[in-house]
Amino acid sequence: MKLEIKQLIPIPLREKFNSKSSDIWLQSLQLVAPEYIFIQSPSGTGKTTLINCLYGVRNDYDGRIKWNDKELRAETTEGIAALRAKEISVIFQDMRLFPELSAWENLEIKRSLTHTISEIEASEWMNRLGIGDKKNALAKTLSYGEQQRLSIIRALLQPFSFLLMDEPFSHLDKKNTSIAAALILEVVQKNKAGLLLADLDENNFFPYHKTLSL
Amino acid sequence: MSQSQGNLLQKLLLRRSKNGRLASAWIALCIGCTLLLISVLMWSVFQELLNGKNKQQDSLGSTFLTISKMVDDASMANKQLTQIDAADVALIKKAPQVQDIGLLSPANFKVSASLGSGPMSFYTLLFLEAAPDRFMDQMPKTWKWQEGDQTIPIILSRDFLNMYNYIFAPSQRLPLLSEQTVKAIGFTLTMGEGEQQTNYRAQVEGFSDRISSVLVPQSFIDYGNRKFGQSNSTNISRVIIKVGDPSDQQFTNFLKQHKYTTNAEQLRFSKMRTIVEVVSLATGILALLIMAIGTLVFILFIELTMAQAQTSVQLLLQIGYSPKKLSRFLVVKYIPIMLSALCVALCITLALNYFASQQLEQLQLHISPFPGFYLWLAASFSGLILLWQISLAIRKAIKA
Repeated sequence: MKLEIKQLIPIPLREKFNSKSSDIWLQSLQLVAPEYIFIQSPSGTGKTTLINCLYGVRNDYDGRIKWNDKELRAETTEGIAALRAKEISVIFQDMRLFPELSAWENLEIKRSLTHTISEIEASEWMNRLGIGDKKNALAKTLSYGEQQRLSIIRALLQPFSFLLMDEPFSHLDKKNTSIAAALILEVVQKNKAGLLLADLDENNFFPYHKTLSL
Repeated sequence: MSQSQGNLLQKLLLRRSKNGRLASAWIALCIGCTLLLISVLMWSVFQELLNGKNKQQDSLGSTFLTISKMVDDASMANKQLTQIDAADVALIKKAPQVQDIGLLSPANFKVSASLGSGPMSFYTLLFLEAAPDRFMDQMPKTWKWQEGDQTIPIILSRDFLNMYNYIFAPSQRLPLLSEQTVKAIGFTLTMGEGEQQTNYRAQVEGFSDRISSVLVPQSFIDYGNRKFGQSNSTNISRVIIKVGDPSDQQFTNFLKQHKYTTNAEQLRFSKMRTIVEVVSLATGILALLIMAIGTLVFILFIELTMAQAQTSVQLLLQIGYSPKKLSRFLVVKYIPIMLSALCVALCITLALNYFASQQLEQLQLHISPFPGFYLWLAASFSGLILLWQISLAIRKAIKA
C-alpha cells in the first residue's frame, strides 16, 4: 500500500502555512507500507485535519492524496467504503463509538463486517487491555480511557495495510499505553501494514522509520 | 448479513423509529394504494360495461334501437320506398356509434290468433316478426322451433301487455292479465289461407322491453314465409341496431340525413357514457393525488427515521460500512412493509370487485368477478414506482 501526498493543504489552513514551515503541508511525499511514520504536530497545526483528509472524511483541501495511485477524492462512496473496510484503519482522537451500543456491540458491528478476527480473539484483546469486564456496559458509560482502549481494539478488527492514529493514547496512563501499543504493533506486523501516528510530543510508542513535523 | 449485524444495524438505525408513526405511514400508503386500485377497477369495470365485450349482453354503454325508413307522402304511394335493402344495411353498419345490426324479418303471410270458443272466445289478426338471437333481451330455453313442431314460442312486447291491462281491458270490461297468466294461456295461431291454412299452438314464453313486436324464432318465420308467403322475397322494413351512444350528434345527423326514423326518446336517453367517463376520470385524478400523498407520507417517515439516525449512519460509513450495504438493509426492512400495504389494498380491491360483480348480477349487469389486466398492471406499476421512490429516498438519506 502506497500513500502519496502532493501539495496538500487544507483550505482553512491555507493562510497559516507556507512550503517551508511544514514537512507535510504543501510538500510532496510518498509513504509505503510497512513504513512506521510519526507525525509530530503541536496543537493547532492540523493533526486531526490531516488524519481526516487521509481517511477521506474531509474533502476541503487543495492538492492531492493518492492511495495506491488512486486519487482519494475521485473515489466513489463505495470505493471509499471498501478502502475503509479492508485497506485503511483508523483510531480517532475522539473515539467515535456508538454511545447507545455496549462495548462488545461496538466491536461486533465492526468485526461482523469482515470477520477477520474471531469473537474469541476480540474478547481476549479486551481482557488484555483491561476492559474485559466492560463488555456489556454501554459505551457512553465508559470512561475516556476505556473508550479509547475500545476504539483501539475496534480499529484492529479489520484487515488493513495502513493504520492511521490520531493521539491514540491521550487518555491512557503509561502502563496501559504500552500494553495497547504492544497489541497494535503485533497486529500491524501480522498485517504487514504501515502505521502513521500523529501526536503532540515525541514518543517511542513504535519503532518509527520516519518522523515528520506538521 | 449476519443476524447479529442485522440486529445491531436495527438498533442503530431504526431504534428511534416510533411504531405508531410507522403504522400511520402504512395506513396512509395503504389508503392511497386502495383508492388508486379501486379507481382503476372502476374504470375497467365501466369500460367492460360500456363496451361490453359480449355483444349479446346488455350493457350500460349501448342501446338497442329499431330503425326504419320514414313514411312520408311519397312512400305512402310506393311501399318499396320504405323497404330496407342490402345497400341500406351496409350504410347503417358504417354509421357512427353503430356496433351491430340485425334484420327484423316480418311474416309476409296472414296470421290470426284465437282463443277458446263461445261467448268468451277471442280472435284477432296478428303479425309476427323475428329478430336475430343476439338481439334478444329474453331468451327462454324453449326459444327454438323446427319443422314439425306444433308449438311456437312467442315473445311479446311488454308494451302490448301494458296497453291491454291499463287501457284496453278497463274500457272493454275485460279481466286484467298478469304475465304469469299470459304465459300459462296457450292460444291458436292460424297461418295462411284456403287449403294452405294450418293451425299451430302458440305459447307466450317471455316479454321483451327491447323490441316492440310479436316475436317468434327466426326458423319459423323462414319456414312460414316459404310455405304461406305471398311473395318469394322477404320485405324487410325494420332493422335493429346496437349503438354505443345514441345521443351522439353524428349518429342523429346520420339518421336525419338518410331519413331513418326511430324512437326519438331513446336518442336522448343515454348521456351515461359521458357522465361515467367524467366520473372515472375525476376519481382517477383524485386517487392519483391521494396515492401521491400516501407515498409522500411513507417516504417522509423513512426520511425522518434516517434523519434521526444520521449520526449513526455517518459513523457506520466511517468504520467501513458501504452506503449500498446500509441501503440494502433499509430496503429489506421497508419494502416488505410497503408491499404489505399494496397487498392489503389489492385484497380490498379484489373483494370489492367480487362483491360488486355479485351486486351487479342482480341488476343483470355482468362483470367478471376477477379483475382484468388493467388492475394487475396498475398494481405492478404502482409497486414498481413505490419500490423506486423508496429505494431512492433511502439512498439519498444515507448519502446526505
